[in-house]
Amino acid sequence: MTNYKGDFLDLLKAQNCQIQLDLPATPAAGGTLSSIQETEGTTVLAVRYKDGVLIGGDRRATAGNVVMYDRAEKLLQIDEHSVLAIAGSPATAYEMARVLEHSFQYFRRSQLQELSLEGKLRTLSRLIRENLPMTLQGIGGVIPIFAIYDLLSDDENGGKIFFYDALGAHFESADFATSGSGSVWIRGILFYQNRWGDKPLADMDEQEATITVLRLLDAAAEYDSATSGYNPKSNIYPTVKTITKDGIHNLSVERLREVYAESVETTYAR
Amino acid sequence: MLDEPYRWLEAVNNRRDYIEDQLRGGSPVVGLKYDDGLLLVTISRGQRKIFEVHDRIALSAIGHSADVERLRMMATDTASVQGFQSSVDDVTLHRLTHFVLGPTIKQSFEAIFGSAYIIKMLLAELGVQGGGEGFISLNYDGTVQANQHSEVIGGSHDAEIAMQNYLSAAETSELPLDSALQLALETWVVGWELGVQQTDADSDGEENAHSEPATDKAQLHEVLREELKSGEIEGAVLEASRRSNNKFRLLASDEISAAVTDWL
Repeated sequence: MTNYKGDFLDLLKAQNCQIQLDLPATPAAGGTLSSIQETEGTTVLAVRYKDGVLIGGDRRATAGNVVMYDRAEKLLQIDEHSVLAIAGSPATAYEMARVLEHSFQYFRRSQLQELSLEGKLRTLSRLIRENLPMTLQGIGGVIPIFAIYDLLSDDENGGKIFFYDALGAHFESADFATSGSGSVWIRGILFYQNRWGDKPLADMDEQEATITVLRLLDAAAEYDSATSGYNPKSNIYPTVKTITKDGIHNLSVERLREVYAESVETTYAR
Repeated sequence: MLDEPYRWLEAVNNRRDYIEDQLRGGSPVVGLKYDDGLLLVTISRGQRKIFEVHDRIALSAIGHSADVERLRMMATDTASVQGFQSSVDDVTLHRLTHFVLGPTIKQSFEAIFGSAYIIKMLLAELGVQGGGEGFISLNYDGTVQANQHSEVIGGSHDAEIAMQNYLSAAETSELPLDSALQLALETWVVGWELGVQQTDADSDGEENAHSEPATDKAQLHEVLREELKSGEIEGAVLEASRRSNNKFRLLASDEISAAVTDWL
């Protein structure tokens, strides 16, 4: 078969590789809603700062009130300039990220050009929409944030943040986006900080943006049992990445430790 | 008629002649190891000839552009699906050439009522920690040849031998990228010159046994300068030190001119 569109999902279907579970949108008559306790992800956030996008995520994965895993990676690099931050079911989210990564590469390799920003966003929309039957069943729902540095942007800062709803609609967020169960606690703080704080997020340098993101993750962990902040017993820090025109950079644990000790653990003296 | 063995052999041989005629004018491709991976170089005229197939695999070809496109897509599709289904580490050049491309080309070559692929391919693979690294070339009849250090494809068998000889006479180990590029370009001229001479000889109806490959550097450079008036150097690397999983990179034009300008 010749695939003229460079569409990886079509290629997989043509080769009989099923990527999504074929569930009906409603449980069978007489059946019950899922009785499995699914693993879920929790707080991720992205802010547009001076050089691009800074994105952070906690490390906890929970199933009900059980902590399943304390080292979950929720910021998934898709290509050299984009990151998918996941909240929701990791089983679906990791697969989504994998399909996305392979789709972008397949398009570039087969069509001999990079997939456009709009094309990348549409691909993710389609994945989320095709996941709708699962989401309606109450399992496997994913609401991600997609952050990218757009090299073709007219703006001097090509950092862009998009968030999605469960049906796959994407919205561009000018300054920041949050997702996951802990996000309700920090969305308002971000709004406040961006509007009345010392400076707007877009003017912050990497250091300032890192402090903001780590503090907010700490705040989310304070109120949301499914979000972990810094875990001193096992020395686990949240993950933070920057996306700039030079590509994606992971902030090292040493760097996070430094920022954490200087600017997150300190509070007003009493 | 063709069910008689002799007729069948004759038909296959006619096919061989036909395809070789079609390929003769092709611009050679040179594959060479350098100190940070593998390099593929050719001189192209408007149409791209070197392609990314997968994280560690690159492909180039001479022949009919529609055939190149069909087989390139087949290689890309197969590698992409395999890489997705299990792991990108399970995609290997050996499997791609021996299980997919080779048999496909052979089958259509011998199906004498159908059309054959007019193609020669040269593929390169950057190994994981040095293992499985090297080049594999595919002939129009589906035969496969592997070489760890260098490999060439050209318009004719003679041109390929001349190019290989030129390469084996040169120092090829641990070359930096610009020296490797220069050597590859000289090798390209050796193959190209021979191809041109043979095509001329054919059209004059003469025997071409007298054509000797040029190996004098000044002469090679002269021809290269001449060819670059109408053609463009195209090069790509599979770069071991590249930070991404994806090791393929087309050489930028300023990178190429930096390596060539003072030298030529």
